[in-house]
Amino acid sequence: MELTELDPKFKSEVMSHKEAEGLNACFACGTCTAGCPIHEIFPEYDPRKLAKMVKLGMRAEVLASPTIWYCATCHNCEQRCPQNVKFFDILNVLKNMAAKKGYAPRSWIEQTKQIMKNGLIFPITEELRKKRKSLSLPDLRSHGEKAKKLIKLTDIDKVKGQGKA
Amino acid sequence: MKRYALFLGCTTPTQVLQYELSSRWICEQLGIELVDIEDFVCCGMNQTNISIEAGLLLASMNLALAEKRGLDILTLCAACTGQLAEAVEKLKDPETRNQVNSKLKTVDLEYEGKVNIKHISRILYEDIGIDRLKEKIRIDLSKLRIAPHYGCHTLKPESAFKNFDDPDNPKTLHHLISVTGAYPVDYETMNLCCGGKSFPVSEDIALSLVRRKLDNLMLRKIDFLVVQCQTCYLMYRDQQKAANQKFHGNYNIPVLLYPQLLGAAMGGDFRDDLGIHLNGISLADFAKKSGVDLTHIKR
Repeated sequence: MELTELDPKFKSEVMSHKEAEGLNACFACGTCTAGCPIHEIFPEYDPRKLAKMVKLGMRAEVLASPTIWYCATCHNCEQRCPQNVKFFDILNVLKNMAAKKGYAPRSWIEQTKQIMKNGLIFPITEELRKKRKSLSLPDLRSHGEKAKKLIKLTDIDKVKGQGKA
Repeated sequence: MKRYALFLGCTTPTQVLQYELSSRWICEQLGIELVDIEDFVCCGMNQTNISIEAGLLLASMNLALAEKRGLDILTLCAACTGQLAEAVEKLKDPETRNQVNSKLKTVDLEYEGKVNIKHISRILYEDIGIDRLKEKIRIDLSKLRIAPHYGCHTLKPESAFKNFDDPDNPKTLHHLISVTGAYPVDYETMNLCCGGKSFPVSEDIALSLVRRKLDNLMLRKIDFLVVQCQTCYLMYRDQQKAANQKFHGNYNIPVLLYPQLLGAAMGGDFRDDLGIHLNGISLADFAKKSGVDLTHIKR
């Protein structure tokens, strides 16, 4: 790639988020990648490489990369980092930025819509209520109003997604 | 005995009802009072993917609802535990708390920072304690060999679970299994993530993770895999069939949720109290494997 395609502001933009403040402490030792279960089965997902790409200013490549969404949230990366870099949190910042650009997987968007409807990421059907009753469990009711109000304050209800739900 | 607000999360009360059923039963037996809060919503874990702020607001709303009633929270799901416990840590910062409260005001809530989050297994281990659990055991399950699966978010990030277990070499679930008389079996992939949070994005990746653990477990002489999170349960139980199809495997590992195992040892009715039949396990098989004479189990 050409040097001119690098965005020197990308790193500072990422680090302006509280969650990503520690990025500069990363010296690319690769302990995160070595302990990552996703990297083990899918080498294209590589925390060390992503951290380096952010530092280099590879904005378009990072934000459009489908791999940033593959994380299983096991926290091994930050648990094992000798520099106490919270890569898990940095990745969330990157995903949030990518979501604003319309790159979020549709499954996450659909879950948010469901929460706005009834407070949970799954629908509360009549069949479910009957099943719960048959097991003598308390009834579940839709209760999404407060969650809806809060979600709307963050504007993520306006985010568009990609792929299948 | 202590009262807790029961935080069911999204998946347990809609898809893994036996986890809720067995948890309520053992808590009742042990004198842990569970308070249902109808207004509880999703913990916000998955929303963090698209908005850290939205995830934190949902978590904070739940904390505020529990605080209003003067209760700490008992969780069942590992991810809810992690999300809520991390929110508790974040909200210790006055600036963050003020920002969050300025938004919670729109739903007439406020969070002062008084709530503690504890997963049910931690409450059993710490509040009740192994010695008192031992006194409640009525059925000897010493014929059973059990592989423990801890789940990531009950232990990590360590900053949210201070003074508990070692994420790289956890032992608490081992002890909780041992108290039933069953033998906890170590295996190489014990700390491997179930992949549940990758599943909505890539089934291929998630099932590949499931396969790694199942491959390992097939080499061990075990009767059950025991989990303490409904997402881990769904990945290893329901997705075991998908893994068989995808990888032409013959995995046949039965999965139990920890409260079902403890409940069985405490003399709970396998069906009515613990819902073990809902795991696709025949109750007669379970009794046979466990060496339990069903006719001796009286409520």
